[in-house]
Formats: sequence, C-alpha cells, structure tokens
Amino acid sequence: MPMADTLSPSSPPRQKSIVEAHGISKQFGDLEVLTDIDFSLAPSEVVCVIGPSGSGKSTLLRCLAFLEPYDHGSVYIDGQLLGYEDRNGKRVRTSEKRVDDVRAPVGMVFQHFHLWPHRTALENVTEALRLVNGLSRQEADTEGMAMLEQVGLSDRAGHFPESLSGGQKQRVAIARALAMKPRVMFFDEPTSALDPELVGEVLDVMKKLAADGMTMVIVTHEMGFAANVANRVIFMDQGRVVESGPPATLFRQPKSERLQQFLNTWRERNID
Amino acid sequence: MLEILLNHYPVLLEGLATTLVVSLSAIALGLVLGVLLAFGLTSRHGLVRWPCGLYRSFWRGTPILLQLLLVYYLLPEVGIEIAPISAAILTLTLNTAAFQSEIFRSGISHIPAGQIEAARMAGISSWQTRRRIIMPQVFRLTLPPLTNEIITILKNSSLISVIAVTELMRVSEQIASRTFQPLETYLAAALLYLAVNLVLALLSAHLERRMTGGLATD
Repeated sequence: MPMADTLSPSSPPRQKSIVEAHGISKQFGDLEVLTDIDFSLAPSEVVCVIGPSGSGKSTLLRCLAFLEPYDHGSVYIDGQLLGYEDRNGKRVRTSEKRVDDVRAPVGMVFQHFHLWPHRTALENVTEALRLVNGLSRQEADTEGMAMLEQVGLSDRAGHFPESLSGGQKQRVAIARALAMKPRVMFFDEPTSALDPELVGEVLDVMKKLAADGMTMVIVTHEMGFAANVANRVIFMDQGRVVESGPPATLFRQPKSERLQQFLNTWRERNID
Repeated sequence: MLEILLNHYPVLLEGLATTLVVSLSAIALGLVLGVLLAFGLTSRHGLVRWPCGLYRSFWRGTPILLQLLLVYYLLPEVGIEIAPISAAILTLTLNTAAFQSEIFRSGISHIPAGQIEAARMAGISSWQTRRRIIMPQVFRLTLPPLTNEIITILKNSSLISVIAVTELMRVSEQIASRTFQPLETYLAAALLYLAVNLVLALLSAHLERRMTGGLATD
C-alpha cells in the first residue's frame, strides 16, 4: 500500500468547514478506488453522495472517518488533520487516541447497523456514554432514554437487537450515534439493508435531524430523499467526483453523460 | 469397585481434591493468559503476532507429558526450585493457554468488524472495545469448545502423577498396588473423573442456555 505523502496542502483549511478533504486517494492493492477527491462540508449542510455500486462513495465516507486510512491527501475535522501528523517533515500515522479525539465530532451510522447483539437497545445507546463520557448508569440511562425517544423507540429500550426489526435496529443505531452529541453525522447507505416498507421510518428520522440543523453526509441510493433533503448532491463514478451541485440542478440538468445514464437507469428501474 | 470406593474414599477424595485444585487453577490462569495470547494472535502488528504464534505452536505441538518433564527438570537447572504441584499447575497453565488462545482467536474472528468500527466511532478505546464489546460475545460463542478444553485439562491432569503429585491417578495406583485390585480401583477412579466432568458439562449446558439471549449477529 502506498504511504501517505506529505501534507497537501500543507496548511489547514481556512474556511469554516466542519469536514474538509483535499486530494484524497485510496488504493486497495492495485485498484485505485478513490482518485484526488476534494470535499468540504459547511455547518448544517446536508450532502448526499450518489453513484453506482463500486463507485467509491462508501470508501470516501470511510476515509473521511478514517475507518479506511487514505493514502494521499488530507482530511480535516474542525481544522485538525485526521489520522496523520507531520513528524520531522515526514507524514506518520497518529495514535488511535489522537484519531478518536480528532473525529469525536463525527457520529456514524452503517448499512448493516452493527448494533452490539449482547446489549439491549438502551445499553447500545448508553455504552459509550458510560465508557467515554464517564456518566453514571443512572445519568446514562436518562440520556439514553431521551435518545431512544427521539427516534421513537423508548418502548423498545429493554429489547435485544435480535428482537427488533431492521428499521428499529437502524433507528437504535442512529440514537447510539446521536448520544455522543456529534456535530456531524455520516450515514453509509443507511436504508440499503432494509425491507422497502421499513425504509420510510429511518428516512423520517433523518429528515427530522436535517430539519433540526444537523450537518450530514449521506451515501445513499434514495434519490427521492436526496432530491428533497440534500443541500448538495455529489455524483461519483470510478473513484472520482463526476458532478456536484444542488439536487434540483443535478437531477434536472445533468451535465455529464455518465450521470444522465445513471439517472435514466434509475428512472427505468423505478417506473418498471 | 464399590468396595474400593467405600474402603478408600478418604484418600480417593483427597486425590480428587488435588486433581481439582491443579486443574481448576491451570484453567483459570490459562484463561487469563489465553485471552491475552488471543489478543496477540489477532494483533495488527507482526511483532506481537509472530511470537504469540510461535508460543501457541510449541505448546500445541508437543506432548503434554514431555512439557511436564521439561518444566519439572528445566526450572531447577536455571536455579528455580519448584514444588511438583507448582510445576504441574505451571505446565498445565502454559499448555491450556495455547489451546484456549486458539479457541478465543477463532471466537474473536467471528465478531463482525462493523461492531468494532461502531465502537471506535463512538470513541470507545480499543481496550474497552475488547473488554466490553468483543470478549463478552466471545465467551458466549466459545463456551462449548471451552468446556471441551476444561474437560481435556482435567483428564490430562492424570499425567502429573509422573512428577510425584498425589492426585487421583497416583492415589489410584497406590491403592491398586496395595489391594491387588487394579481393575476395581481404576474403575472407581474412572467413575470419579466421569462424575466431575459430567458436572462440568451440565454446568456448561446450563450456562449456554442462560446466555442465548442477545447473541444473534446483525
């Protein structure tokens, strides 16, 4: 795997972005999955990332969270470089603790929920409150119940994940991420693993979050949701950003042939 | 056989007590060492993984009788005087740790990576993730093979009679040579081993039933 190069650009971002990425690239073996991506996210902005399978959109999100270390370029969270530091002019990986500290403002929701199956819904939400924030069980339970209330699941607090529906699991996962009071939420295809009739309940929670001003990056196949909720849509293909802009422009007047093709395929499939 | 049990039960029970003390101490100490080794075996760093793998290969790949004799004779050579019972506990600990580490390593590899990523994204440290997220699930997942290992150690403890620890096997040998009733004596000893292992197996099955809630992976 190629080593991350020197900082480029060498200075932290100047504008008030919560998340900013410059020229990030990522390779898996010989396969280049991300090529020279620039990205920025302003407070309260909702950005949807769309694109065909294998276009690199999930990898982009994972690199922005440093769940996948990017090979080249820089990611800044609140102006702090994520995952690397400059030591004697050479870029080296930072400690896990430093990664945790820099990405503390970020909460993440995964396609397959990844709830902890040996913990109840409430315990899934309170685990980090107790371990990371040092809350007592009682304080954490009060906070956790408020989070479950927010996603409409306070009546499922004592249930283990195995007895929850997919939509409920995902809502618990959202509550778990929200409990840590993130300033930005990353969603990695949050509805892709759900039965169609369960998608709505998760999207409703996300819409409410957006309406409350939460800054969000959402990798999704839900074009309707992107059109209605996003401030900006990014279309990716083959590891590159092909087009980005307000959803109205992007969906109605796609400039690139690739996006037109992608939207046509999507329309055909949805009309069928 | 009943006669042997009735006439010699105080020494047989004394032998059984030694068997239990040695085995259960080794199992408990081996569990701690086994968990640490499993973390080593699943480490991202080759420098940690490699020596742990070497340790596991040695203790899994050589006969336990040989290990017992090596520990018993090697330690005095390097100036460490050790009582036979301590040498027995040490050997069984080092042996079971290798087997338990492999059981735990396999259990750890069954925990979906996403669960660990979710913990890391919540700011939970990797040590806390191991302690609170991974290991509670691993103990549940590995209870059946772990029970097998506990039973194996209990049975293998019969080998420690070669370094003059008077556990159940050695006591039986002594009774057999005194009474000239080897068959009856060894049947009585077998019954005692069987009884203890049955209790362990029942305990494990009970635990397994109690811990079924909340194990399905998502």
